[in-house]
Amino acid sequence: MEKILRNSNVRRRILVVDDEMINREILGNMLSHDYDVVYAENGQQAIDTLRKEPGAFSLMLLDLLMPVLGGQKVLEACRSDADLAGIPIIVMTQEEEAEVASIRAGADDFIKKPYNMPEVILARCERIIDLYEKKNLIDSAETDPLTGLYSNDFFFEYIRQLEQFNDTKMDAIVMDIEHFHLINEIYGRSEGDRILKKLAALITRELEDNFGFACRASADTFYIYHAQMDDYQKLVDRIVGEMGGLSLSPAHIRIRIGVNHEIDKNDTCEQWFDHAKLACNSLRRDYTGQLAYYDSKLHDRQLYHARLIQDIDSSLENGDFVVFYQPKYGIQGDRPVLRSAEALIRWRHPSLGMISPGDFIPLFEGNGLVQKLDRFVWEQAASRVAEWRRSYGITVPVSVNVSRIDIYDPDIEDRLLGILKKNSLSTADLFLEITESAYSDNASRLIEVVNDLRRDGFRIEMDDFGSGYSSLNMLTTIPIDVLKMDMQFVRYMLKDEKSLKLCELVMDISRFLNVPVVAEGVEEQAQYDKLREMGCEIIQGYYFSKPLPAEEFAALIEKEAALCSKNS
Amino acid sequence: MITLEALKQFGADTDKGLAMCMGNEALYLRLVGSVPNEAGFEKLAQSIGSKDYDAAFDAAHALKGVLGNLSLTPMFEKASEITDLLRSRTDTDYSSLLSQLSDMRDELAKLYE
Repeated sequence: MEKILRNSNVRRRILVVDDEMINREILGNMLSHDYDVVYAENGQQAIDTLRKEPGAFSLMLLDLLMPVLGGQKVLEACRSDADLAGIPIIVMTQEEEAEVASIRAGADDFIKKPYNMPEVILARCERIIDLYEKKNLIDSAETDPLTGLYSNDFFFEYIRQLEQFNDTKMDAIVMDIEHFHLINEIYGRSEGDRILKKLAALITRELEDNFGFACRASADTFYIYHAQMDDYQKLVDRIVGEMGGLSLSPAHIRIRIGVNHEIDKNDTCEQWFDHAKLACNSLRRDYTGQLAYYDSKLHDRQLYHARLIQDIDSSLENGDFVVFYQPKYGIQGDRPVLRSAEALIRWRHPSLGMISPGDFIPLFEGNGLVQKLDRFVWEQAASRVAEWRRSYGITVPVSVNVSRIDIYDPDIEDRLLGILKKNSLSTADLFLEITESAYSDNASRLIEVVNDLRRDGFRIEMDDFGSGYSSLNMLTTIPIDVLKMDMQFVRYMLKDEKSLKLCELVMDISRFLNVPVVAEGVEEQAQYDKLREMGCEIIQGYYFSKPLPAEEFAALIEKEAALCSKNS
Repeated sequence: MITLEALKQFGADTDKGLAMCMGNEALYLRLVGSVPNEAGFEKLAQSIGSKDYDAAFDAAHALKGVLGNLSLTPMFEKASEITDLLRSRTDTDYSSLLSQLSDMRDELAKLYE
């Protein structure tokens, strides 16, 4: 404050209360160099002056023995009246024993009569004023003026102080109101404030009988540090029930509560609440409840996913993504013939090691990043097909994935044709796999794209056929060239009757559509025999080979090329 | 014309008194000049006369404070003596002490004539 007032004409005001004119004048003369001085001749005048302008005085110098109303009574009045409570009081007395009573009544300091040297008096006044201004500053920063709960900084500071000696197990709780900004916008800020105050009051009530304290962390977010409870459902029910009593219908106020039940003392207390907030945020899409517990495993998984998202670009640049090829054999002839391959991406992460596609494909499908992987695979696969043709004189087409997001790319056709052209390939050399889910997303766009691509000469393969919901409806509207039977049917076809029946059904559909079926996931001789007997034309799976790096796959082509030339 | 020298002769610790007034000589001389008119002297004499020692103590106490602040040492010492007796509400003959204090008051008043 000193710094702020330095170059101003603003002066603090001191109230000097003494019935003796001589004393008032001596003090006034001392103080008036640095302060504006106002005088009162007795206690009643002093109180009247203070009441007229609450907060206007930085200090009161108070004589004890005065007519009308003595200093002791003024002290009592000031300390019991909120309007007058903020002012520091220095009592002036000759009587030693009066000091104790004055301290009890709330005096902050003493000046002995007869006065000491003026420098001492001035220094004491200055010190007390400074102390009070700081104290008032702290008082006002300690709590949120709207709710009366602690402010963020103080909340965390008190946790840190408490944790130096606290043995009680504690939980970190985060509470917020869904779409609170909308409440403010629709019903007005005062209604929003009313709701916040109500929630704060309910939190305070919960803490009356429990060890803990709370803060308003930001607009509609409350943090509670609470002695551990096994189950917070009752607490939630009480608060949610009471909030429903507000004039807005309860449907408009959805409280969400996230609890961090497993505070890790190695983390900072801010992190404890970050974790509770994660649990709270998880309720955003989940309308089944209003209470969620932090799950460190889930959190680890989220961190892992964030890492993968962060690393995808550098890994694409550094060649950490590798395309493997799994052969597909035609099985209806005299011997199995290598017909084509499916391109499958693998991620050799520089520090996380080999990452399963099951870990990153669904993630990247969800956020659209899979498009980058798809394009990478298209490029890689096309250049391999061209390379093999140059080396072995035969063409082994490769199936590549076309994800849902690719369908929305307006340049998909040009992009694919460009890749083929660059490698001197034709549309017969790259098969395109789409999944049923792309259909359910935006059927008309998918039909349009598939028609365009087929017109260009591409073969469209329906991947995972049978696993989705809209299969039959889709088949009547989308022209496709190959059905890939869902791997699950093959896996269980010899174990349960239902799967076998579904395999037969897919075969029937393929005959009806007059398209071949590719069976994936074939591992055993018995599966192979059964599928061949059913009329399945093409088989892919460990029965023939696992997915192989391009170099190893080349050996299969070499073998096939040798057999072809021998037979011809 | 009152001077610091005259007050020093009277027994006042004028250096200290002046320091209390932040070196403001005019203020100091004016405040000392107002001492003989202090209502406390009459209040003290009347209260003792009617044996109202509570009121007498308050008056003596207040006088002592003022006299001390102005460093009017002889008067301060006399007022202190009276205050200490009254603090324990001692029932004694105060007339000698009172007249000594009164004489000093008159003496001080004369300095200002």
